[in-house]
Amino acid sequence: MSKMGVKPREFGLKPRELGVKKPQFGVKPREFGVGTCVCFSAQCPAGCLCRCPCPCRCPCRCRCPCPCPCRCRCRCPPVAVAAMSRFFTTGSDSESESSASGDETAPKAAGGPYSKPLLLSEDEEDTKRVVRSARDKRYEELTNLIRSIRNAMKIRDVSRCLEEFELLGRAWAKAKGVVDREGVPRFYLRILADLEDYLNELWEDKEGKKKMNKNNAKALSSLRQKLRKYNRDYEGQIAAYRQNPEQSDEDEEKSRRDSEGSGSSSGAEDDAGNFLKRRERDEPRSRYKESESEPESESDEDWGDSASESDSESDEDDGKFTSLASKFLKKDEERRGAERRREEKAKKKLERKSRREEEEEEEEGGEWEKVKGGVPLIKEKPKMFAKGTEITVGLVMKKLNEILQARGKKGTDRAAQIELLQHLVAVAHEHQLGVPLELKIKFNIVASLYDYNPNLAAYMKAELWQRCLGCIEELLELLFAHPEIFVGENVLEESENLSNPEQPFRVRGCVLTLVERMDEEFTKIMQNTDPHSQEYVEHLKDEARVCGIIGRLQRYLQAKGSPEELCRVYLLRVLHTYYKFDYAAARRRQVRPRPQVSPGPQVSPGPQVSPGPQVSPDPQEKEKEDEEKEKQEEEEEEEDSEALMERLCRFVYAKDRTDRIRTCAILCHIYHHALHSRWYRARDLMLMSHLQDNIQHADPPVQILYNRTMVQLGICAFRQGLIKDAHNALLDIQSSGRAKELLGQGLLLRSLQERNAEQEKVEKRRQVPFHMHVNLELLECVYLVAAMLLEIPYMAAHEFDARRRMISKQFHHQLRVGERQPLLGPPESMREHVVAASKAMKTGDWRRCHRFVVNEKMNGKVWDLFPEADQVRAMLVRKIQEESLRTYLFTYSSVYDSISMETLAAMFELDLPTVHGIISKMIINEELMASLDQPTATVMMHRTEPTATQNLALQLAEKLGNLVENNERVLDQRQGAYGGYFRDQKDGGYRKGDGYLRRGGFRQERGNY
Amino acid sequence: MASRKEGSGAAGGGFGSAKGKGKAAAAGDSAVKQVQIDGLVVLKIIKHYQEEGQGNEVVQGVLLGLVVDDRLEITNCFPFPQHTEDDADFDEVQYQMEMMRSLRHVNIDHLHVGWYQSTYYGSFVTRALLDSQFSYQHAIEESVVLIYDPIKTAQGSLSLKAYRLTPKLMEVCKEKDFSPEALKKANIAYENMFEEVPIVIKNSYLINVMLWELEKKSAVADRHELLSLASSNHLGKSLQLLMDRVDEMSQDIVKYNTYLRNVSKQQQQKHQQRRQQENIQRQSRGEPPLPEEDINKLFKPPQPPPRMESLLIAGQINTYCQNIKEFNAQNLGKLFMAQALQDYNN
Repeated sequence: MSKMGVKPREFGLKPRELGVKKPQFGVKPREFGVGTCVCFSAQCPAGCLCRCPCPCRCPCRCRCPCPCPCRCRCRCPPVAVAAMSRFFTTGSDSESESSASGDETAPKAAGGPYSKPLLLSEDEEDTKRVVRSARDKRYEELTNLIRSIRNAMKIRDVSRCLEEFELLGRAWAKAKGVVDREGVPRFYLRILADLEDYLNELWEDKEGKKKMNKNNAKALSSLRQKLRKYNRDYEGQIAAYRQNPEQSDEDEEKSRRDSEGSGSSSGAEDDAGNFLKRRERDEPRSRYKESESEPESESDEDWGDSASESDSESDEDDGKFTSLASKFLKKDEERRGAERRREEKAKKKLERKSRREEEEEEEEGGEWEKVKGGVPLIKEKPKMFAKGTEITVGLVMKKLNEILQARGKKGTDRAAQIELLQHLVAVAHEHQLGVPLELKIKFNIVASLYDYNPNLAAYMKAELWQRCLGCIEELLELLFAHPEIFVGENVLEESENLSNPEQPFRVRGCVLTLVERMDEEFTKIMQNTDPHSQEYVEHLKDEARVCGIIGRLQRYLQAKGSPEELCRVYLLRVLHTYYKFDYAAARRRQVRPRPQVSPGPQVSPGPQVSPGPQVSPDPQEKEKEDEEKEKQEEEEEEEDSEALMERLCRFVYAKDRTDRIRTCAILCHIYHHALHSRWYRARDLMLMSHLQDNIQHADPPVQILYNRTMVQLGICAFRQGLIKDAHNALLDIQSSGRAKELLGQGLLLRSLQERNAEQEKVEKRRQVPFHMHVNLELLECVYLVAAMLLEIPYMAAHEFDARRRMISKQFHHQLRVGERQPLLGPPESMREHVVAASKAMKTGDWRRCHRFVVNEKMNGKVWDLFPEADQVRAMLVRKIQEESLRTYLFTYSSVYDSISMETLAAMFELDLPTVHGIISKMIINEELMASLDQPTATVMMHRTEPTATQNLALQLAEKLGNLVENNERVLDQRQGAYGGYFRDQKDGGYRKGDGYLRRGGFRQERGNY
Repeated sequence: MASRKEGSGAAGGGFGSAKGKGKAAAAGDSAVKQVQIDGLVVLKIIKHYQEEGQGNEVVQGVLLGLVVDDRLEITNCFPFPQHTEDDADFDEVQYQMEMMRSLRHVNIDHLHVGWYQSTYYGSFVTRALLDSQFSYQHAIEESVVLIYDPIKTAQGSLSLKAYRLTPKLMEVCKEKDFSPEALKKANIAYENMFEEVPIVIKNSYLINVMLWELEKKSAVADRHELLSLASSNHLGKSLQLLMDRVDEMSQDIVKYNTYLRNVSKQQQQKHQQRRQQENIQRQSRGEPPLPEEDINKLFKPPQPPPRMESLLIAGQINTYCQNIKEFNAQNLGKLFMAQALQDYNN
């Protein structure tokens, strides 16, 4: 860096060599245009003029050379006036050139030593402004293009030649007007002629052509054709030029000289012109033909460098300054090496250069203007706020509108637009044009930040996002600082009041929308970041900021917003709260022991067999207690997320008029309840909302939210030991086998036939960010364990039942998969564990079952993911004991005449009352044919179970019934219209029980006859 | 055991053969009226199963003998070797020819007159059996298939049955058309697919004499399989198999039902009606009606499901039912006997 800083000075001592370089001045301005600092964000830590908002990531490409600590290489003098800002670029230009190649237009920047002498001008404070004619502008464009063509020619990059040539053609067409007036300029003819020669040469060179890569070869032929066609129009002129190239060169130089120096003092100009001519005669056009000439070889090097460099760089985003910086460093070294090499070579040149410098000093004025004249973007700034004009609100507004009008148009550089707006804010701020105006502009900045990505699917870049966050924060600060300003989206453009202090300020704009959009963008960023990367964590840290903003917005709107707006912002807040487990609250709860029943006994022994309907009496009491308690807590601590959710959601329920927000709020509320194990409240809310009935009419994101809520509800029920409820809640999601998709946590691998690219994009947009995911393995495990606890006793009870229905297909599937295994090793995966546990349970071996369900592996995989893992495990053990007992009784009751309950209690490590309860229940439900003998505490088996043969006979009878049924249908078909016989049969008689089977399509069909 | 029974069987056989002689030409519908089996053949078949068959695996072999009038005399047999995975290229025909040639060398009857097969709880009415018996009967008109039920035999009564395909079924099999219509036309039902041919087991007098001698020496107390009361296993198995068949039957019927529905649906389809309307219009205009065939070509009627399977299943069910009925009748008798015995003892 410092090295770079020094270098120009050392060049400054070099003698000038004017002749060759002169023609290239015309080219340079274009690159300044890009390099010009346009950001003006008034933040340069060095307080220099440029105001580049480094120290980190200068969004503008200025690289202006002020001495700030960043890599932006600003080195412009710290003395400055705002009005001068458009000129400081001249100071920087030489630098930008020496630092080179960071620019997109690097090839030009590497113009090398030619421009270096200009550095001298850095001390000058020339404020003259140049009005450039259309002719200058056009010619400049042309010369730029010509130059790059020549570069391409030199490195034999024909395809690039072709590109540039096409551009040239276009530029030429633009310049038509000028040309018509003044005739075809010499330099243009020259490039045409040169290009033709060059192409012919290449064409003849068969060897070279063979070596050429495909692209180039193709480009060569097409370029040759094009050029031939093109040149036909200028045949005469080219011929004339060929006859007298010297002359034309000279003329051209002169003309260009004129064009560049127009407006400068003629005396100096003449001198320079003469000098030029002299130099040129000394070195006639050598640079185009012979690359051996000294200065040329040097510049050649540079070109090579920068060309390769520019390729890679232009690919990169403008934001990636860190990598750029490293590149610069590298480049630095290269350059230093090259310099050393060059130094000896260039001794003569040095001499010349210094001479030239002197000369330039004489004609400083002219030099200045040339450079300035070439900055195309600068044109915009003078328009933005003409020097000297008093900057008023009206003016700024006008300018703002101007900028905004460009919005959305095709050719608009969105990045530049943002810069311009930021500049405008700075100006407004500087001139104390009032907060409302600033607000107005800032609204627009944020809006254009969002506009930056034209594609809805693409997500914001991180740095843009950061800026956006910053802007919104500033905006909010302003709003808080000036509560008197009325901001609303309903304010018409005409009725806005930005400046009149007598009336209340009115500004059009909606912070809420901006914040909502920001939230969306945040989701998008999270969706598009690899969830396992450090980057994701970094992004996730912003979540706090987002929440902060939402919180502030909420406070702001609470003061002034309408209920609708409040609902929206509350929803935002809710959406950012509902999925987070409130550890703080949980801890508090643990510290203060609850007055009510502790979680252990909460799992009531009796109703567990079928917990669904029986739970009503005590839970309600519990719930009341809960509620009272929660009310207290609400008063005590505002920040308790439960209370917060309650408050926000209540408001939304009461005030919301759009159904969607309320639905979302309810779902989030339920989710939050479920997450914090408040099962009854969650369930009641779910049932009261009747969402189950009409959720299929909602839009997909809400449906995803609904699915998430159901899943969470199921997991909550499981934690509470309500196995049946858990199973019911999870059944729909799990049985589809598409849980991942239904929860919006990833796309299933499907062929493109089922889903085209467009659909896939839409689906991708719906994905829930990773940090909100429900753990799918946990989900499946909970489901399978619940299914196991239900299914295994059921299977044991209905072993001989032909009509047995499966409770859970998926569980059976897993069992079958386990059975199909030729060799059963110890279980590895979660599923294998559950299957192994099921097998153990089938034989009533609860200890083994327990070992399989709760062990190291499973703890790590599943159970430890619960907030109250130990509680859940305790519940599980108990459940396993109970269900194993039931299974045992079902399976082996036929072996016993009587069995002592004490023995059973010892076998299953349950206390006697529990065993008693379970057995009583089984007897009442007629699942177990037995009676209890109180005095001896034994179960007497009654043996009313059918024997195996009887069972078989029953099954056979049933099957035969089916057969007859089916057979009759065939008969029905045959007989068609006269089905009366069967209709009579159906009502009475032997098939009463099976009557329900004959329904649906088949009867309708009969109607058809 | 078998040999004991066979004494009376042989006597009955003698009458049958005498009767059959006169009718041989007149019957026409079946070439064989009676099967006379040599004791040797029976023992060989039983031995074959004892040695090679177990569980529901099936053993098969070739029957040799000759036809005398309308009586098929089976005088010898030899087993097919059990198939293993290793000798996939084993040539059965070659083996049979070799065997027969060898037997001829030692002056044994070498005429191929059918085949035998063991069965598992009477589940032999299958497509495979049908096909091979058809090919046998097609090539050698008088051939029969002997079905040996080892399980029943183990319970104390030799179960050996000879079956032939009825001429009707032969016709149908020749046509290879098992569509509902064809079967209906042929008037085939499960009852008249197979015909059982009465069996007579005959031994030479010398053997009979020896058996009489042996009987004196052997103790009757050893033979009590016949009185075993443990029946539930056999019954359970039979029921299970029967149920499987019933299920299959059910499915088959459903399939057929779907077919019927498809047919009727297609008949009702609109294009046909349209064509008919068009034809009516044309007729009113005096033009010739458009043919209806091309529509049927366009919309192929659904393929009718072959009915042979269901016939076989029905046959099989019938066999099972017979078996179970027989078995239960015997067992009930035994149970009553046991009860009476019990009462008497008490």
